[in-house]
Amino acid sequence: MTLIRELSRRGFLNMGAAAGLGLMLPKTGLIRPAFAAAPLPPVAEEAAMIAWGYVGPTADEGWTWAHDQGRLAVEKAFPKLKTSFVESVPYSADASRIYRQFVADGANMVFANSNYGDFLYDVAKRAPEVAFYECDGRLAMENLGTYYVQHWYPSYVTGVAAGLMSKTGKLGYVASFPVPSVYSGTNAFLMGARSVNPAATVQAIVINSWFDPQAAAQAGTALLDNGCDVLFGIMDEAAYLQVAEQRGAKAVMWNTDIRRYGPSAYISSIMVDFGPWYVEQVRRRLAGEWTPSEDILPMAKGVDRDAWGESVPPEVAAQADAAREKILSGWSPFTGEIKDSNGAIKVAAGQTMTERELYEWNWSIEGVSGLDA
Amino acid sequence: MDVLAGLIQTAFLAGGVLALAALGEVLAERVGVVNLGVEGLMALGAVTAIATVLAVPIPALGFAAALAVGLVVGMAFALATVVVRANQVLCGLALTLIGTGLAATIGKAYSGMPAPATFRPIHIPVLSDLPFLGRALFSHNVLVYLIFFILPVILHGLMFRTRHGLNMRAVGENPAAADAAGINVMAFRFWYTAIGAAMAAGSGAYLTLAFVPSWSEGVVAGRGWIAVALVIFAGFRPINAAGAALLFGFITALGFVGQARNWPIAASILSMLPYLGTITLIIVPVVAVQRMRRLMAAPAALSVPFFRDMR
Repeated sequence: MTLIRELSRRGFLNMGAAAGLGLMLPKTGLIRPAFAAAPLPPVAEEAAMIAWGYVGPTADEGWTWAHDQGRLAVEKAFPKLKTSFVESVPYSADASRIYRQFVADGANMVFANSNYGDFLYDVAKRAPEVAFYECDGRLAMENLGTYYVQHWYPSYVTGVAAGLMSKTGKLGYVASFPVPSVYSGTNAFLMGARSVNPAATVQAIVINSWFDPQAAAQAGTALLDNGCDVLFGIMDEAAYLQVAEQRGAKAVMWNTDIRRYGPSAYISSIMVDFGPWYVEQVRRRLAGEWTPSEDILPMAKGVDRDAWGESVPPEVAAQADAAREKILSGWSPFTGEIKDSNGAIKVAAGQTMTERELYEWNWSIEGVSGLDA
Repeated sequence: MDVLAGLIQTAFLAGGVLALAALGEVLAERVGVVNLGVEGLMALGAVTAIATVLAVPIPALGFAAALAVGLVVGMAFALATVVVRANQVLCGLALTLIGTGLAATIGKAYSGMPAPATFRPIHIPVLSDLPFLGRALFSHNVLVYLIFFILPVILHGLMFRTRHGLNMRAVGENPAAADAAGINVMAFRFWYTAIGAAMAAGSGAYLTLAFVPSWSEGVVAGRGWIAVALVIFAGFRPINAAGAALLFGFITALGFVGQARNWPIAASILSMLPYLGTITLIIVPVVAVQRMRRLMAAPAALSVPFFRDMR
């Protein structure tokens, strides 16, 4: 149990995670490691090839779809370069084979939209002239950077709306695995809800998959049957939104705008947008300025709440947006005192959690049940 | 009480996917053909159904289209395994790979579109308003009644109460003897395999038209394999197969309710429950009662191709 909780959003493999190198710039969450290595040499746009290894299918309406929109943004910004991608790259030695193939095909830059750990590091070490990026990675190398999103802030903002809209104060969460993204998601969501309803709680159900519409639908039904009236989760599909729509409940989603699956149940979504960031990294690579970075894209610059759903009352939207503005102006909701689910004080009063701590959050706050065994 | 009613309701809804596929597999295996292509057929049926209802928003039409596609693909499978007598296991695996791959390719255009018309729960006067049973038993879509109450009984009657059914079972047990008795072994095997495949595709259509009303790649998520396994657990009997599917759905739902109510059992153990529970509840009787072993046995000629001149 301890081991799995150390793992990150989509990974099981990245056990040897090393802490960040270099210096974390306050408020931006960007960490630029101080590698002495010179930037990789420039590449002509016509000759460049940029490759993506995707964890799911591009048609998943979720995580991989969002990343593929980023790839399309790169194609638009640099029409002369070539892009290439492989979908549903498995977490196995096949991943190494696929990434090695990218290198053999002449890729100048390779993005992995999930953490492939050693399967990727092996390839990166043997291809020092190629720039690599690992999403949700924990280890930077001389030619490999990491990137992710500060999804805990929009989770907090949508939590405020959920807290105001829930009649029972019981919020449900359809979880994939007990990994940091799920801990930070549930914790932030509940902290948002508790800012308006101190009695609110979050109940999580772990379904052991990022993509299993049948299990997610059953989990959503079980949560609603047990008194929850607002659902949140971290799925690459819309099953629990459809359940909420049928049952007259509400739901907050992830990745993209999927309100058409349940227009009256839809509150908002944790929207990710990697386009501008991908374009910037490719620009740096082509211009010969690229050195690896460890980026956790902040709210409003890569991750944000979606436009509010049609059933969200204007005063609820206004109150949640006020929290959003406050966060954007520098306030952090993740300030002590914060207790864990056993009642022990984990963050002392007045102390604020760092972006790294939020990125690696692996315990539940008081009021979240279902994750800590 | 409300929770239990909800549990039973979800058990029917979720179990329907498995039950229809398992009933189809019972037909194929009873005539001696193992069809491991269920997973692929379900994917094909699911995508066919969504493509059809997006063109014409009538769910029954989507279901019928999936059955038709399943029948055609099943006939191709039967051609390979029954007529050409190729290895059934390999053909089945190939069918799964082709089916999931083809469905993913066709489905690219349809992913992310909610089904515009679905099988909605039917409100039955009086019965649907009963306090407990109303929600548990009488608030389902039409396919659930068909899959759990009508089809298993019809198939059971056909297989165990008619001469046609006796012939059918004979083909699966001893095709040489059946052949000597004047039964057309090839025709029985060919058509029941194809019909079984059509039902597997139908269960895919159930998935996208009644359970998770949208298509996405990987929506079947391994349920086809579970259906194949349930047939063995159910002793190749239609009523048992429907019951096993319902049980599986019930225990799965129970695992989620357990998590939602914070039972002091690890989530990973709760998600093992359906498998553990099904194995225990179906294997224990076989081990405990000698007679059950004979009743639950597989057809003797299962997966053995029939060569007329090699008796």
